[in-house]
Amino acid sequence: MLIIELVVFFRHCVPDAIMADAFSSSSETVIQRVVDVTVKTNTPPEKLEELYQIKETCDFISQHQFKKVALQFPDELLVDSVAVAVEIERHSNAKPFILGDTSYGSCCVDEVAAEHVGADCIMHYGRACLSPSKRLPLMYVFERRPVDVEKCASTFRELYPDTQSHIIILYDVNYVHAMNDLLTLLSPEYPNLVASELVVEGEQCYSHGQMNRQHDDTYLSEQDGRQVIYQFGRQFSLKKGSSITDYSMFYVGQEGATLRNFMMTWNRCSFCSFDPITMTGRTESVSINRALMKRYYAIERAKDANVVGILVGTLGVADYLTIIQQLKETIHRAGKKSYMFAMGKLNVPKLANFLEIDIFVLIACPENSLLDSGEFYKPVVTPFEMEVACNKNREWSEEYVTDFRHLLPGGQSHVPLVDQQEDGDETDVSLITGALRSRNLLNSEPAESSFSSSVVLRNQTMTVANTNPAASFLAERSWRGLEQKLGETPVVKAVEGRRGIAIAYEEEGTPS
Amino acid sequence: MFLFPYFVNFTVDQIRAIMDKKANIRNMSVIAHVDHGKSTLTDSLVSKAGIIASARAGETRFTDTRKDEQERCITIKSTAISMYYELSENDLAFIKQSKDGSGFLINLIDSPGHVDFSSEVTAALRVTDGALVVVDCVSGVCVQTETVLRQAICERIKPVLMMNKMDRALLELQLEPEDLYQTFQRIVESVNVIISTYGEDETGPMGNIMVDPVIGTVGFGSGLHGWAFTLKQFAEMYAAKFAAKGNTQMTPAERCKKVEDMMKKLWGDRYYDVENGKFTKSATGADGKKYSRTFVALILDPIFKVFDAIMNFKKEETAKLIQKLEIKLDSEEKDKEGKPLLKAVMRRWLPAGEALLQMITIHLPSPVTAQKYRCELLYEGPGDDEAAMGIKNCDPKAPLMMYISKMVPTSDKGRFYAFGRVFSGCVSTGLKVRIMGPNFVPGKKDDLYLKPIQRTILMMGRYVEPIEDVPCGNIVGLVGVDQFLVKTGTITTYEQAHNMKVMKFSVSPVVRVAVEAKNPADLPKLVEGLKRLSKSDPMVQCIIEESGEHIVAGAGELHLEICLKDLEEDHACIPLKKSDPVVSYRETVSAESSVMCLSKSPNKHNRLFMKARPFEEGLAEDIEKGEVTARQELKARARVLADTYGWDVSEARKIWCFGPDGNGPNLLVDVTKGVQYLNEIKDSVVAGFQWAVKEGVLCEENMRAIRFDIHDVTLHTDAIHRGGGQIIPTARRALYACELTAEPRLMEPVYLVEIQCPEVAMGGIYGVLNRRRGHVFEEFSVMGTPMHVIKAYLPVMESFGFTADLRSSTGGQAFPQCVFDHWQILAGNPMDAATKPGIVVTETRKRKGLKEGIPALDNYLDKL
Repeated sequence: MLIIELVVFFRHCVPDAIMADAFSSSSETVIQRVVDVTVKTNTPPEKLEELYQIKETCDFISQHQFKKVALQFPDELLVDSVAVAVEIERHSNAKPFILGDTSYGSCCVDEVAAEHVGADCIMHYGRACLSPSKRLPLMYVFERRPVDVEKCASTFRELYPDTQSHIIILYDVNYVHAMNDLLTLLSPEYPNLVASELVVEGEQCYSHGQMNRQHDDTYLSEQDGRQVIYQFGRQFSLKKGSSITDYSMFYVGQEGATLRNFMMTWNRCSFCSFDPITMTGRTESVSINRALMKRYYAIERAKDANVVGILVGTLGVADYLTIIQQLKETIHRAGKKSYMFAMGKLNVPKLANFLEIDIFVLIACPENSLLDSGEFYKPVVTPFEMEVACNKNREWSEEYVTDFRHLLPGGQSHVPLVDQQEDGDETDVSLITGALRSRNLLNSEPAESSFSSSVVLRNQTMTVANTNPAASFLAERSWRGLEQKLGETPVVKAVEGRRGIAIAYEEEGTPS
Repeated sequence: MFLFPYFVNFTVDQIRAIMDKKANIRNMSVIAHVDHGKSTLTDSLVSKAGIIASARAGETRFTDTRKDEQERCITIKSTAISMYYELSENDLAFIKQSKDGSGFLINLIDSPGHVDFSSEVTAALRVTDGALVVVDCVSGVCVQTETVLRQAICERIKPVLMMNKMDRALLELQLEPEDLYQTFQRIVESVNVIISTYGEDETGPMGNIMVDPVIGTVGFGSGLHGWAFTLKQFAEMYAAKFAAKGNTQMTPAERCKKVEDMMKKLWGDRYYDVENGKFTKSATGADGKKYSRTFVALILDPIFKVFDAIMNFKKEETAKLIQKLEIKLDSEEKDKEGKPLLKAVMRRWLPAGEALLQMITIHLPSPVTAQKYRCELLYEGPGDDEAAMGIKNCDPKAPLMMYISKMVPTSDKGRFYAFGRVFSGCVSTGLKVRIMGPNFVPGKKDDLYLKPIQRTILMMGRYVEPIEDVPCGNIVGLVGVDQFLVKTGTITTYEQAHNMKVMKFSVSPVVRVAVEAKNPADLPKLVEGLKRLSKSDPMVQCIIEESGEHIVAGAGELHLEICLKDLEEDHACIPLKKSDPVVSYRETVSAESSVMCLSKSPNKHNRLFMKARPFEEGLAEDIEKGEVTARQELKARARVLADTYGWDVSEARKIWCFGPDGNGPNLLVDVTKGVQYLNEIKDSVVAGFQWAVKEGVLCEENMRAIRFDIHDVTLHTDAIHRGGGQIIPTARRALYACELTAEPRLMEPVYLVEIQCPEVAMGGIYGVLNRRRGHVFEEFSVMGTPMHVIKAYLPVMESFGFTADLRSSTGGQAFPQCVFDHWQILAGNPMDAATKPGIVVTETRKRKGLKEGIPALDNYLDKL
């Protein structure tokens, strides 16, 4: 009898400071939370092998002689996690750990959680955004979802009656296994069809077949005169002399963040999609122009903002620290104040705790960056949008960047900041409030002395005025914290207080 | 002098010298209903100042500087011109206020008459002290006359009246002299009714500001023909005639007295016995003989005779009259006959420029006079600080106080001249000033810039001239401050200065169009264009909505049309796609919430209990007018609410806030009793309230006229669990639940329409109005004319294409003026998609890209 020692590592079981409860989900609610996923029954054992490619996984582990393996499952696949772990433990010498409840999107690799258990490598199961992560060896195991290739091909023919059309096929990672079959069916008819391949960046990334590895970070490269485009873990080469705008996109997969991301990025291409679950195809009618204008509204809000909250929405995507630094600098140069927040998964109440923040900028993988912030008290924008708002050199054009890494120095869309010297008093009319705003609010203030004892010339009218935006927000609040009421309240002896934790004190009973 | 085409005899230095004589400056605007002849009349004034050739007065619209203005023959933007006029020794005696020499600098602003451009009038009034109110004596006082006159009175602008288009009364209507007098009398009366309704009484700081022909504040004439007179002209004529018998040498003061006495005899129930050459007070003599009214006998009769003789080609009589009136015609004019001759004769006899300029210089106040009583209305700060004293005394040595009332586009794209008036101190090129926008608060740095003025310029019609400096009391343009102001602002050198009060417009931007660049890549150009447009027009609103739509909102269809044309051709310079006009709606409630609405915070530990109910009739309007405001003193406001609207005084004192934007017509009231920690969550609830009332639950339009009461609150004992994150979304949900349970309704904006037309066209008008849900509430005929006036309410939603529709159904005889009047509930339940408001909700939600259908109540209402 084999005794399996299973460690289910829930991030939120780490004892948090009580204060942190208000800013992140409290541990108990995480456990009690009804996760909004379609409850799947356990996959029958005979299918596990096919679905999770356990044999290949074990071979991979043995080959690299990993000792501790972290298995990262998205919420909807957690039901199978134990079975998979048991199988892996049986077929290899490694000890598996299951990572549940990823801090951010389950499409990203949760390296931090894996490092908590000191894992040698991570197995990432399910849908992935293929954002590069560089700390640990990583293997993607895509859940192979069934797709009716025949049906897909016939839908394709209906959507593109012209066999000469230039089309690029994109797909959700779960359907990569069916792409060769689809191509075999369609290529003879459509000479100008281009299939995208999955490509993972980084030395230590692996996958079972169907995936190449990219060694250089170039986004565009030339191969025998053909333009090769590499983005979001996809790679495809365009015909000589043609550009991406000459192509239409055909996407296999369900509507969701992945498709939205593609559509925003290649916003000049027309999109059609085939949903393997409903087995229907459709032209994506959502006017992308409309969506872009909506994002432009957010940019205007960002320009209006005085205080910006930088939300760290990933700890896995490579270069996230660099972009935080760059954003801080950009925001500061634009005369705004920034604060950094790490609060795990975002929700409305968490963000609404910070009334003084005018706008949030979310640093996350491309697919999770595009947050529809309608329900949020203050809008949430992407790093690209924040840059458009703050960096005078960057103009809003048709280009839309969801991947923040392109904004970094050396990235394809990097635009250097304006030299501080030439900053004049640039002003601008806000199209939201109709009022005037100037770009260099803070810069015009006298540089703050690092010595608190230094003498500053007192300005008669401006004595109260030289404060930062957050302080002036506090000044406008009607309630600024507990009042001392010295001498107004009688002195009493200390009494025994309540017991328990704030969510349910002992004498309160269970909350309704 | 080529560079300076109008002041033939003046250099900038000479003008600058006159500017210092502040008692001899007259800043005035010309205001009237559309088509009553302001610009034409202005031209005759300008021609007097030598700007355009005298012969062309009445044909060129000097102040209409834009191409479209000249094509459409309407004024769109107000334009300023400076004029110089010298009064004779004799005339100087008529001036009752202080004076300084005989030369007068008149800064005149010609303003548009179409209601859609009322904001231009408002901006013009702010920088002037007097107004020449022009009324077409055929159509009488119209809706826009009333609107602009009311604004003038409220700004403490002294009016003088000009009865225009007398030529039409004589030539077209062929009125009898007595009827014409009655018409004049009625117009004077209706103007005075407006003045007394909106103005202070005679004991007010301005004294008596009623217009009265007897004192010479009423002019009569024809701008098109270039002639006009006041009683003063005829009084002088007759005074000289009667005096000639007696003493011949009089001092100016004596002469003035004589003329003033004579003027009194020329108006009202005074009669003239022609045979005996005597004035009497009764219409019938002792022998039962009927006497004519003096005005008829001595003024109208000669004019009628001239008209009759010339228009009926009675050559001999004409020649005799010309000789009798001592009119000298040049040889060219002598050869004319009919109308051209009539024009020439009348212009020689009663030159309009002369009469009007005298009326203006004698009766309109100088800055010295006007700023004394206008200061308290102009300045927000204390009445005794340096700035206020500078304004009151019109002191060029005091700190600079200047109000920028509008931005005028320059030939340099995207740049503007800041146009305004110096009220105190002196503004000069290179002077370092504080530029304060409307959001500036003393002691803070918002909306405040310290910048030098690049250049000061004189703005006159189409031309600008650089000038070194300009002292108080004058109107001036500034270069280089435009980028620090949006539409209006205060410019000062005084560190403790408060803002000058912002202008209140009589119209609101209720008609909206969404614009889009035809080529999406042009979006940045569109945005830049919108920013420029929003600067260039005092009223237009350019906004981006949450849906990403770029909205241009204006006062009416014409205003929008002009704005969009400017946007496309001048500001953005790219092809645009424009949506059909849409109106903005308001969400309101019609009953008290049927249940106590409870919403729980996300952590379920805090509960808010609230109810909504509609405002009392009139309260929303009072808030919009600024009679009940967020900034008002608490107790005074509570008093007003209790007295006027029957509020419970203790509740009225517990208003947490106004909204949206902290000053809108919705209220959040705390009616709780003894709730612990309530003050801690106030900011969060207020934030949720501002959010909710800005985007109502029906279709994310603003809410209006709703009072939300917080009845009870239970809060978690630990501060951290009742933070903003828990309370803000909860307050919003609770407020939405309140709205949904209080029989929500949609409000639509309604225009007041005034239509003038001949009787035959009335049927067509009623037909059009009925088709468009309009309802007529007043109808009368204009006395002495065949014209009828219809006043009606017309929903803005139905007004698109109304003017064109009306023209085609009346054969072009009816011309409507629409001005936003009030909000009205759109009958029907918006929750029912089949009703009219239901359709509006569905369409609006679709346009904004919201989820279909109003969210269900259970999204917001929680169970205990």
